Amino acid sequence: MIIENVIAAFGAIFAAKTLLLMAVGVAGGLIAGAIPGFTIAMAVVLTLPFTFSMPPEQGLATMVSVLVGGLSGGLMAGILTGIPGTPSSVATTFDGFPMARKGEPGLALGIGVWSSFFGGIFSAICLMTLAPQLARVGLEFQPWDYFMLVMFALTITASLAGKHLVKGLIAGALGLFVRTVGEDEAAGMARFDFGSEILLSGFDFIAVLIGLFAFSQLLSDVRDPETARKSLSERGTVKAKIEHARALKEIAKHWTVVVRSATIGVFTGILPGAGGSVANILAYDQAKKASKTPENFGTGTSEGIIAPESSNNAVEGGALITLMALGIPGDVTAAVMLGALLIHDVIPSPNFISDNPVLAYSIFTAFFIATFMMIAMQSLMLRVFVLVTRIRMYMLAAVILGFCGIGVFALNNVTFDLWTLVWFGIVGFIMRQLGFPLAPMILGVVLGNIAELNLARALAINSDLTPFFTRPWSLFFMIVAFFSAAFPLFQAHRGKRKWTLFYLPFACFGACVPLYMMGGVPRPVIATIVLTLGVYTLVKRARSGWKLDTPADHDLLEEEQETG
Amino acid sequence: MTRLSNDTIVAVVLLLACGVFFWASFDIRQPDYGVLLPSTWPRVIIAVLTLLSLIYLVQSLRAGPRNEEARAVPPGLKGFLTYWRNPIVCFAMFFAFLITLPVLGMLIGGVSFVFVLMTLLGGWERRQLATHAIIAVATVGSMWSLFTFGLGVMLPVGMIFNPFAL
Repeated sequence: MIIENVIAAFGAIFAAKTLLLMAVGVAGGLIAGAIPGFTIAMAVVLTLPFTFSMPPEQGLATMVSVLVGGLSGGLMAGILTGIPGTPSSVATTFDGFPMARKGEPGLALGIGVWSSFFGGIFSAICLMTLAPQLARVGLEFQPWDYFMLVMFALTITASLAGKHLVKGLIAGALGLFVRTVGEDEAAGMARFDFGSEILLSGFDFIAVLIGLFAFSQLLSDVRDPETARKSLSERGTVKAKIEHARALKEIAKHWTVVVRSATIGVFTGILPGAGGSVANILAYDQAKKASKTPENFGTGTSEGIIAPESSNNAVEGGALITLMALGIPGDVTAAVMLGALLIHDVIPSPNFISDNPVLAYSIFTAFFIATFMMIAMQSLMLRVFVLVTRIRMYMLAAVILGFCGIGVFALNNVTFDLWTLVWFGIVGFIMRQLGFPLAPMILGVVLGNIAELNLARALAINSDLTPFFTRPWSLFFMIVAFFSAAFPLFQAHRGKRKWTLFYLPFACFGACVPLYMMGGVPRPVIATIVLTLGVYTLVKRARSGWKLDTPADHDLLEEEQETG
Repeated sequence: MTRLSNDTIVAVVLLLACGVFFWASFDIRQPDYGVLLPSTWPRVIIAVLTLLSLIYLVQSLRAGPRNEEARAVPPGLKGFLTYWRNPIVCFAMFFAFLITLPVLGMLIGGVSFVFVLMTLLGGWERRQLATHAIIAVATVGSMWSLFTFGLGVMLPVGMIFNPFAL
């Protein structure tokens, strides 16, 4: 059955037009990812209007290609100019730029490109094998569980705002609220339309996404007149030739770093809310801790490039696993992909892979092929990148704002969508300036309907609220949502307050209760492992006389409202 | 008078907005069927938002105005307008583009928008004007062609090309 689906998916993807569109997508993604201030999510969201008239397989393959290209493009700017193209490649600059300045830009680029490739392939394999398994687990979910899963996704995304947790939660609630404007889906009653017929249909969520994300980002990029008039080539050298053979030798020497970092990437991607911006720093940190020569990190060591680049390319495979198996986007980019699926009348859910196997496997296949295309096109796109770096930021911003206008109008052929774009652009810009993270708001907008519909279904089945606490999956998501919301507090007070000693053990004890309630064999086994970890941590702390730990070196704050 | 921080002002605006929307939620018609009424979910969100805004207000009052806020933006209206000049120009131009869209249409309106915006942001020396004009025509023209001829999307024609468009 799987082989039949894979063959059918290959048939759908291996059409000349689709491959051509994918190549254009990868090229566009590589360039978009390479331009600082032009994020991957922005590139994917701007691709969306072009895919309306395409068949679903073709449209989604094009978007996946932009995504894969964008994930790898960030390293070019990071290594050659020291300015990361995307937040996902921040850690790449720690060692990539010093290596380039030492006279080895070709080797640094080669290591980055091939690490991205291996990370992407690892992630594609995980996507193909894990997504159908997770979808089977997802079939157990009832409306109570789904509602709590959405709440968990929102709280964990908000918690990434670190010390700005309240702002993150406000952003998430605002996103949920935006989605309530217009007719409600359950009863068809008008809400907050203030007598306007236009508002009755609500805000088109793609227009909201482009406004909140792309429009506001462009305005932030041109805020400083001097920076806006500068081109990237004025900030550093951008000439280099990729050294593939030497890079492959270096990667072969450090293959364990590739596997570890890609695994970190996939699991960070699966976790709702955490994206490439977190994964690349986490992988860099782990590589440094595991290295025999940690003192070389930051001076241009190859491990310091391999770790972030393998992990950030692996993230999207993880995010797509959650999206395709459960219908919950793992990050902003996956949220845009969810929008693309909805536009093509495909509603991701646990049944998605079994109901639309060809489409699902087409996405898997496209991810795989796009990764190969990325490696083939890097050298060529490096030359284009050199040309693009001569363009001034204000020119790019003006042109892209124009494209936003055309693209958003094409969504529904309605001028109101353009007004939605500009108003949410203003909201997004103000929120950015005031330090509100945009990711929770975007997830709130995307998940608002799912949350409300599942709450309505849950209450229609049983008006009693106790199933939220007695159903294992619902309880599990509630507990992890609570601990994820408390995580920033834990980080802020770690080493200073006594209660932080009990955070991890109690999180383990809490999580193992619903796992035991699920029954069967594997889950109680996992619960026992989690319980043992909790007991072990507690005993360790008791033996050390309840001494407070020193805080961690790295504070994993959200760098930007972008993922990937 | 003690200066209020931006966070305090935002928290107050959020609280006011919560009040307005809570009031507006009473205008939602309630059907005789269904357990979850159409107004329940928005009210739950508004209640949560109100609680969070109150916490945000208390936090901002405790913290007081941040020094960097005062340092970044020059004082007075002129300083504010100078500091935020580019974003204000972008918004103003986009509003102008939207208002003139029924008359100019997407092609002429789009080209004009990109050209004027680039000129206002980048400068208007003769060489720059020529570069901006070429970029505006080439980029918007190609995008318009792609959507109109390639994807079959009916973009607004405007009264210049079609006087009966309105």
